[in-house]
Amino acid sequence: MNMACADRERIFLDGTAEEWVALEAHAALCEECGKEVRAWKSLSAAVEELREYRHSPELWQRIATSLREETGKQRAKEPLWIRVAIWRNIPAGWQAALVGAMALVLAISGVYVTTHRTPRDPGAASRLLKTRDLVDVEQAERAYVQAIDKLAADARPQLDDPTSYLMANYREKLMILDSAIDELRAQAGENPSNRHLRNQLLALYQEKQETLQEVLETKR
Amino acid sequence: MGSVGLTLPWEHRISPVAHQGVWRVQPAEREPGANPEDAALAAACLAGDLFAYERLYQWQGARMKNLARNLLGTTSDAEDAVQETFLKIQRSIASFRGQSAFVTWTFRILVNTCHDMRRSRFRRKEQSHEEPEDMPKRPEPRAASAHPALRLAVERALTELTQHQRDVFLLYEVEGFRHAEIAAMLEISETASKNTLFQAKKNLRQMLEAPRSCKAGGGV
Repeated sequence: MNMACADRERIFLDGTAEEWVALEAHAALCEECGKEVRAWKSLSAAVEELREYRHSPELWQRIATSLREETGKQRAKEPLWIRVAIWRNIPAGWQAALVGAMALVLAISGVYVTTHRTPRDPGAASRLLKTRDLVDVEQAERAYVQAIDKLAADARPQLDDPTSYLMANYREKLMILDSAIDELRAQAGENPSNRHLRNQLLALYQEKQETLQEVLETKR
Repeated sequence: MGSVGLTLPWEHRISPVAHQGVWRVQPAEREPGANPEDAALAAACLAGDLFAYERLYQWQGARMKNLARNLLGTTSDAEDAVQETFLKIQRSIASFRGQSAFVTWTFRILVNTCHDMRRSRFRRKEQSHEEPEDMPKRPEPRAASAHPALRLAVERALTELTQHQRDVFLLYEVEGFRHAEIAAMLEISETASKNTLFQAKKNLRQMLEAPRSCKAGGGV
């Protein structure tokens, strides 16, 4: 195989074993390539200094303890209705029907309570009246929070994936956004009529919503 | 990117490697998913067998700790990262689909865990108004080395690389993973892995080269 100095970098990048043999043969006759090849190989040897493989039985004891604790926590987290054997034995169709019936009972009870209750303090509504703009902004904020909560719940399985490099970056971005939102909400709480703060808060909510949508889109 | 100024002709102080890829992974680990031990271990971990996690630790624990040590700079952080990785493996083993080798998958989790830890360390420093740093500028001392000056220089030079270059360099050169495995771990292409390694080695070589003035003076 013919080898020229110009081939050197390409072989450093992605050379086959055969090409390396040819380069070394060429390097034996070429001073410049000889120096470069020696330096390149020495770099691989230098990493020997970064290898320190020592078993640590104490670390395994720590890991084993935490794995056992985690198993215990996972079992404790399972809702009672999942753990009850009788529920597990009910066919899936019946389980869905039961859940539907329970939801219907809850909805009827909600409607009944809402329509039959008497207002505790009829003057409260007038005391809570705010300017029209502020009411609009607060409505928009509530809508964002609801949408974000829903998106966050949908995106959670993806975001919790510890194997994804991309999701690690999204987690980082969302953490930064959350911390900025918390800070702005605290400031807006002290000064609710500050238009600038409210606009910034809305912009952050929008950013978070878009980020969560991006996370969900990666699944498709 | 500044030179770390190793004042000795480092390329002559260590024996050159006999062949490129001398530290590649053992043949048993080479084919993703083809190693029966790897697949059996994944199945046993999925079944919740603590002994399987211990086998994984015996097999890869020292290597995991070494990589984490090189990514995080201290042994205590490295041990925390390995512990956290085992917990994440336990939590998400059900999502392991066997698209890569089980070992590759566990290292993918480890690398992401190290990044998460580094980011949270960075945030803590930012919040406490200390000077933020990506990696410790003075890595914790390790066991006695045959070439302490070289080790120090290599460790310092690594802190000057980009995160991506550092990951690829450590995984390929130190831990002996193949580009296909690194590509799976870091969610990049094999070509990107090769290019990143090439760039990392070029940068390291530049940083580790003795300053001209020292060369001229014959070193120390």
